[in-house]
Amino acid sequence: MIELYAVTDHPTPPLPDVAPLRVVPCRDLAAVCAPAGDPELSPEALWRHEEVVEALMRDRDLLPVRFGTRLPDEAAAARAVADRREALAVALQRVRGAVELAVRLLAEAEGGQEAEAPAGGADYMQQRRAAAEVAAAIHAPLSRLARASAERPSPVRNEVLRAAYLVDREAVERFGHAVAGLQREHPRLRILCTGPWPPYSFAEA
Amino acid sequence: MNDKLLHAPPELDLFAADRPAIDALSRRVDADPENVERGLAQLVLTLVELLRQLMERQALRRIDAGTLTDEQVERLGTTFMELDKRMRKLLEEFGLQEEDLNIDLGPLGNLL
Repeated sequence: MIELYAVTDHPTPPLPDVAPLRVVPCRDLAAVCAPAGDPELSPEALWRHEEVVEALMRDRDLLPVRFGTRLPDEAAAARAVADRREALAVALQRVRGAVELAVRLLAEAEGGQEAEAPAGGADYMQQRRAAAEVAAAIHAPLSRLARASAERPSPVRNEVLRAAYLVDREAVERFGHAVAGLQREHPRLRILCTGPWPPYSFAEA
Repeated sequence: MNDKLLHAPPELDLFAADRPAIDALSRRVDADPENVERGLAQLVLTLVELLRQLMERQALRRIDAGTLTDEQVERLGTTFMELDKRMRKLLEEFGLQEEDLNIDLGPLGNLL
């Protein structure tokens, strides 16, 4: 069994020494894989996968492969890439030179209290609208600094925005400054911005 | 992890209510029946919550379009409010937290 970590260009720069990685070429693309370890699902295993992908990301563009993608052998990996070569090439082109940044936004009601229970249906919709407007006030300016963005549903009620942004590597700092600026403009909101991450949210081929 | 923080508020803990949401699917098939039921509830409620949010957004767009009477808006809002309450009650019954509905739905999550 082998585990896939990324799809990247072929040829690719020398691989980092973080795992017994191997390149499986398929014309101008390559899968990066390593012998699969214990299939246990644990936070540590997830982080190990993430570390490998991030080490690879340092000096190459790549499509990160989700944790837990296993194939019988390298021939199967080559076939998997060959089967979707065009779509993968397009996706790789889309993320070329960019990384993913994640933003989460917590809205806080007056005085730090839980939002008041709505008085009725119209009031409830009004609260939802207010939350959507707060989210847009942050999301819109950040989207303009990104090549692409993706909003994700959040199950947490006062988390009004959870989004991923595909940002040019050289624009990461500017993005961070923009977040800090928005935080100053909206002192009652709590904005968390993390990254750079591999472009997981934009790797769909 | 700190090198991943581009910007963080001082009260970073507020974001840490999230636990790794791998409960539903990480259990072995032979997990005890109670866990299976809870895992299934987690999965189903995650989907329901996604649909609820989708419908709510659509409703907001309809209200914005200005084609609804006040009475219709009130009725629509009441429905969503009740749905919201029911959802919380279900979470409670299954011993789940809001954060437990954090399962990655993959491409489905892009519907929002």
